[in-house]
Amino acid sequence: MPARRSDFTSTKPARRSDFRSAMLFLIPALIGFLAFFAWPTVRGVYLSFTEFNLLQPPEWIGLDNYVAIAGDPVFWNSLVVTSEYVLINIGVQTVAALVLAVLLQRFTRSMVVRGVVLLPYLIANVVVALVWFWLADYNLGLINSTLDAVGFDRVGFFGNEALAMPTIALINVWRHLGYTTLLIFAGLQAIPRDVYEAAEVDGAGEARTFFGITLPLLRPVLAFVLVITLVGAFQIFDTIAVTTGGGPVDATRAITYYIYERAFGRFDFGYASAMSVILMIILGAVALIQLRVLRANDSDLER
Amino acid sequence: MSNLTRLRPEDTDSSSAEDLPLVTDEGPRSTSRGSRAAARAAASDEGFRTSSRRSRIFGGIALGVVVVGTLFPFWWMIRTAFSTNNAMFSDPLSLLPVEFTLGAFERVLGIASTSDALAEGGSGADINFGLYLLNSVIVCVLITVGQVAFSSAAAYAFGVLRWRGRDTVFAIFLVALLVPGIFTLLPNFILVKELGLLNTFIGIALPSIFMSPFVVFFLRQFFLGVNRSILEAAVIDGAGTWRIFYRIAAPLVAPQIVTIAILQFIFYWNDYLWPLLVGQSEDTKLLTVGLGIFKSQTPQGSPDWAGLMAGALLAAVPIFILVVIFGRRIVGSIQSSGVK
Amino acid sequence: MKRITIASTAAVGIVALLAGCSAGAPSDGKVTLSYGLWDANQLPAYEQCAADFEKTQDDIKVKVEQVGWDEYWNKITTGFVSGENFDVFTSHVAFYPEFQASGQVLPLDDYIAADKLDTSIYQDGLVELWQDPDGVQYGLPKDFDTIALFYNSQFTDAAGYTADDLASLTWNPEDGGTYEDVIAHLTVDANGVRGDEPGFDKNNVATYGLWMEASGGADGQTQWSFLTASLGWSQTDEPWADSYNYDAPEFADTISWWYSLVEKGYMPSLEAQTGIAWADQLIAGKAALVPNGSWMTGHVFGAASDTFTPALASTPEGPDGKSWSMFNGLADNIAATTKHPDEAWEWVKYLGSADCQDVVADSAVVFPAIKTSTEKAVAAFEAKGVDVAAFADHVTDGTTVLYPITDHKSDVNATMTPVMESIMSGKSGTDALVGANDQVNGLFK
Repeated sequence: MPARRSDFTSTKPARRSDFRSAMLFLIPALIGFLAFFAWPTVRGVYLSFTEFNLLQPPEWIGLDNYVAIAGDPVFWNSLVVTSEYVLINIGVQTVAALVLAVLLQRFTRSMVVRGVVLLPYLIANVVVALVWFWLADYNLGLINSTLDAVGFDRVGFFGNEALAMPTIALINVWRHLGYTTLLIFAGLQAIPRDVYEAAEVDGAGEARTFFGITLPLLRPVLAFVLVITLVGAFQIFDTIAVTTGGGPVDATRAITYYIYERAFGRFDFGYASAMSVILMIILGAVALIQLRVLRANDSDLER
Repeated sequence: MSNLTRLRPEDTDSSSAEDLPLVTDEGPRSTSRGSRAAARAAASDEGFRTSSRRSRIFGGIALGVVVVGTLFPFWWMIRTAFSTNNAMFSDPLSLLPVEFTLGAFERVLGIASTSDALAEGGSGADINFGLYLLNSVIVCVLITVGQVAFSSAAAYAFGVLRWRGRDTVFAIFLVALLVPGIFTLLPNFILVKELGLLNTFIGIALPSIFMSPFVVFFLRQFFLGVNRSILEAAVIDGAGTWRIFYRIAAPLVAPQIVTIAILQFIFYWNDYLWPLLVGQSEDTKLLTVGLGIFKSQTPQGSPDWAGLMAGALLAAVPIFILVVIFGRRIVGSIQSSGVK
Repeated sequence: MKRITIASTAAVGIVALLAGCSAGAPSDGKVTLSYGLWDANQLPAYEQCAADFEKTQDDIKVKVEQVGWDEYWNKITTGFVSGENFDVFTSHVAFYPEFQASGQVLPLDDYIAADKLDTSIYQDGLVELWQDPDGVQYGLPKDFDTIALFYNSQFTDAAGYTADDLASLTWNPEDGGTYEDVIAHLTVDANGVRGDEPGFDKNNVATYGLWMEASGGADGQTQWSFLTASLGWSQTDEPWADSYNYDAPEFADTISWWYSLVEKGYMPSLEAQTGIAWADQLIAGKAALVPNGSWMTGHVFGAASDTFTPALASTPEGPDGKSWSMFNGLADNIAATTKHPDEAWEWVKYLGSADCQDVVADSAVVFPAIKTSTEKAVAAFEAKGVDVAAFADHVTDGTTVLYPITDHKSDVNATMTPVMESIMSGKSGTDALVGANDQVNGLFK
């Protein structure tokens, strides 16, 4: 990075601690954190050691739920299909959003184009799912009728076990592409322009500029976007609920959908809580690895 | 076309302050001390001319594909919303509305009579669209303003201030990001009930108003990138922490703050289950809850297709206006409150 | 919990003041009951009932709230836990066993006895649906549903069938009887070749003779329950049984025959039927014949068009010479969380009375549970030009089997659905049913 950017913290003596100010700034967020996240989590962890059908008081059963989960093929299957969803959804979405964000920044200042990109996010999840459910219907959908008309076989986008999850993953790419693009775009905005100018002076092409400058400088924000979208993707629920309902067979019974079914459909809240705890641990591990690998805390702009 | 040839704005500050945050592509104000003037000069029309003709054509085509792919399903929604429900599946592939009618919009706006609504395959339930819209605006503004303000403060504490245990506390905060919604639903509902806040706007807003781990995390990334020399200069000038936050640091990340505010606003605008549980009374019903009537009424049944699409489109209009019209004003006003 | 509550109370105290007081008891001394239902099509009728009821009461008001099916149960379950719930709500037999087992709904026997209510006014069998294993009554029947064949008479006319032909179909699990003949003949491929004609292309079907509508899960209510009933088979031997019969050969034979329709191309595969609901496929001409429930009558008949002329026929006669239907019904439960149980009973009693059920009958959406009101509903349907005898006759003929009601209902369904889907997609044979039955019966151990 250009040396002219000063690194303040290393050139000045250690500052006085901002502890008191920090606490003041944190008070509202801490209240929200304790009351609406920490407390429910503690309670949920407790419930994971109980048999609790929601309607009667929970009863302590130790590790029984976890033991049962270990032997539950539907749970293991849900981890597999959830991973499939996450890989397809995050893979396609991140690459597409990255390209789109750069395209938006470099090739157009049109308000309309930028607004259009965000449009799908303005429509509720459930409605988006239903629109695509119709467009991709085996018999009545426009996509299959078009395939049929040009001589291809019809495709069971939602009814084929191999295709149902990829279909759902791509529908959600459609809805969230603009959203992810904007998050990355916000990161692009923070990259100083003079860096590009320097590259230009060096005669770097589009590709070299992108891989040599944009991508490295975007790394902290990209890491953040990946963590956020990944954590969100692991909790895929709405689209499944209104389209396949977990089927065919168990092909789209993702972990959060299964948790929800157990908790509210089968009144097995203790079991659902235990699965939630496992999900949290998995998510925590994945996020931690991501943050480590991508060194999200170091900003290349800072030093 | 001129957009493609003029790849960079000639100016920076004045016009970009007017820009929608999603649209401001000038970014240097948070960095590169002292190079602003230079950047301004260099960012003239000569700026990024190096983009070859080929890459510009490629970029244009790629954007065109995205726009068309994005818009087509919207046409399908519009065409469905203007169709007659009962006739729709006699011609399910028609690209134009089937038996064009405004009936679905009348149902959504609550101006169709019960018998008309039933005759068209709707429900005949009362919908007070104007009131629900107002309720949604109140609640979403309440949440967004509170959440973004409080989360910015927290992000500032995590990203700019230096104190012992900062990273540990932040790591604990991040755990909130991983908590599944199913954990928080019941305890939060009971808490809101015990506070006597069921069927109030505050009750609906309460769990979200103090912070979002996502927003804290997001804004912290940008506070980390704020040029510390500007902040130190302010300290030397004798500015207090609050003043530095409010007048200097926050305006520096204004585009990002407004971007996240808009995204969060849209999120809460579309939220359904929580407002359904907490705000069931007519006075506190949100738009999504009111429009829930168009969803499938039986386990295997069909929704009121036309009504659902009309409702979704009408509910999206206010946010679209917000994004396009107000976005740029908000970013401008935040920045003008800061350093000039 | 306590400490955090206090901390947050302090924190939100000011905003709470700003927000004004929350909804409290009405100041005029009246009791306001909340009443929940999921079907928006019935909302106008029940709002009318509530208005009529309020006229007979000096101090009770009723607020009718409609919530779509998915969130409806969510709201009620959450409501039980938090103590904030509907006072009275429309209930379903798939859910209420767990509610009564946990003491979340109030028993009505004392009220029924005190008011000397005559429960013989309801269609036979419906009262029993709402009794627990010990015979304690938890609901008064409000409506019932049965199964019949919906079809597009433009297709049957073209195929040369009369309404009488369709009303007298026969079925058996070996060759499918005339039911299969008709289904085969109504199936038409993209070239216009019928399913029972040479050259039929089963991979390119334009109109299926029969629509699948998923696997039917544990109940097969609209898919196969009317077939198995004619073999004398039922999921359980009696209400509240503690074992299921999915391992019986009658059931396996029926499912084998049903799946053979997919192999022959007369019925869409599981893959091809996943999507837009069956009724819209029927309306769009993708299916000629679909067995389904009386609650869909309004939707299907409302969609008549140049290409779609809906009609109804009774289910085929089985080897026992009878046409059968599964019989299910809804009732209103009083939530144990209500603060006004006596007033809630008054409203439940009114909902179960002819005064309200006649109003529901006139709206011609469902069949009310009271015998006289059922007749009024049949007349109301007729006035709209819909002959619903195919549904109503089952009740007068006594050819109904009760919806299987047991403990662990949702677990049974969760176990059976993937198995049935696996069989109907050809991944497993019907021998998988034996293992599935063991798994289901294991729930009761």
